[in-house]
Amino acid sequence: MTMSNTTDSDSPKRPWLHLAIPILIVGCFAFFFLLPDKMKQGQENNSPNQKIDEGSSLRDGENYYIFASEIELFSTNPKGDPWDAGENGPDIKYRILWKGNQVFQSEEKDDSLIADWSGLSIEFDWSDLGGKTISTDEAIKAARIRNEEEGVFELVVEDEDAVDDDLAGRVEIKLDELKVGKNKRKLSKSTTNAVRRINVQVLPQGSSLKDLVELMR
Amino acid sequence: MLQVRLLILFSSALLGTGLVAPTISIEPRAGEFTWLVVLWDEEATETVTYSIFGAIRDLYLMNNFFLALVLGLFSLAFPVFKLSLYWLATVHPPNSSSLGSLLKWTGRLSKFSMVEVLFLALMILTVKALPGGSEATIEWGAYLFVASALGSMVVPMLLEKPIEKGAN
Repeated sequence: MTMSNTTDSDSPKRPWLHLAIPILIVGCFAFFFLLPDKMKQGQENNSPNQKIDEGSSLRDGENYYIFASEIELFSTNPKGDPWDAGENGPDIKYRILWKGNQVFQSEEKDDSLIADWSGLSIEFDWSDLGGKTISTDEAIKAARIRNEEEGVFELVVEDEDAVDDDLAGRVEIKLDELKVGKNKRKLSKSTTNAVRRINVQVLPQGSSLKDLVELMR
Repeated sequence: MLQVRLLILFSSALLGTGLVAPTISIEPRAGEFTWLVVLWDEEATETVTYSIFGAIRDLYLMNNFFLALVLGLFSLAFPVFKLSLYWLATVHPPNSSSLGSLLKWTGRLSKFSMVEVLFLALMILTVKALPGGSEATIEWGAYLFVASALGSMVVPMLLEKPIEKGAN
């Protein structure tokens, strides 16, 4: 058996302090590695908010999704006659015209005086359950219109008939009068108009799908 | 003893970086209905990258205290404590009785030397088994973490060498 030359008196006076050295190294490396990440996060937080700001004015040069979320017609057509033969209500649909071109046409809503559209719709067959790719653009049922100075678009409301569509009303809407979100408009009956009320939804095109879905629902 | 200390410091640096570096990336999928989930909530299908430290923090914030504690214990507290104990062993004079008892402790700890790595592997395996084709990818932080565990596995062997020499 060999005797040790070293005694416990040579041991460090405060050994527990030495425990802190690896802890400090671990902490320092973790901190220095986290630092650039936190700075990046801070910069991201300072970037302009991409959320939909409901009620704000439309920005020049930006594209917007525009659709009618609700249309109500008077009980008779512009001539004062019933909408359809018998007691059937009008089959409402609308079109949006921008710069003289039709840029959107809605689905038809059968036999209703009040029709609504969600602006978001997915069409799929049973066969699509096997897998279907759908883009945001396909799912959003709205006109894409750019806000320009003195920009206007026209909303044409019709009662779809088998023979010929009857005009319910034509409304010209100035873009600078619109706000982001829901825009309500009341109209009076005339010989050319039988639309009582229109709710127009305006949503910025660059918004996230989640925000759009929230507002379109 | 210098090389042991350098190894401990190197392992500590690897551990510190490995704890906060990206460890695992999860790409959530909902099988054939992925397109529907993408449409409804685009963010739900975005790839999420976690670090070990981030995972502990997120578990804690989600009130999963037990899991946060277990993960924190095995991947944070245990490896740090192990390295600290090894460092303490290097500051004791060779053949001192206190070093002997410390080495007993480090010997006990070395039996669990890869437990943190096993825990990490289990976590990755669990994510890989998620339904709907979700994919988990190991990121470079995991390799640093494993390298740190391997480094700290070598330390007790090097620490015992002077004792063996002294005994001869």
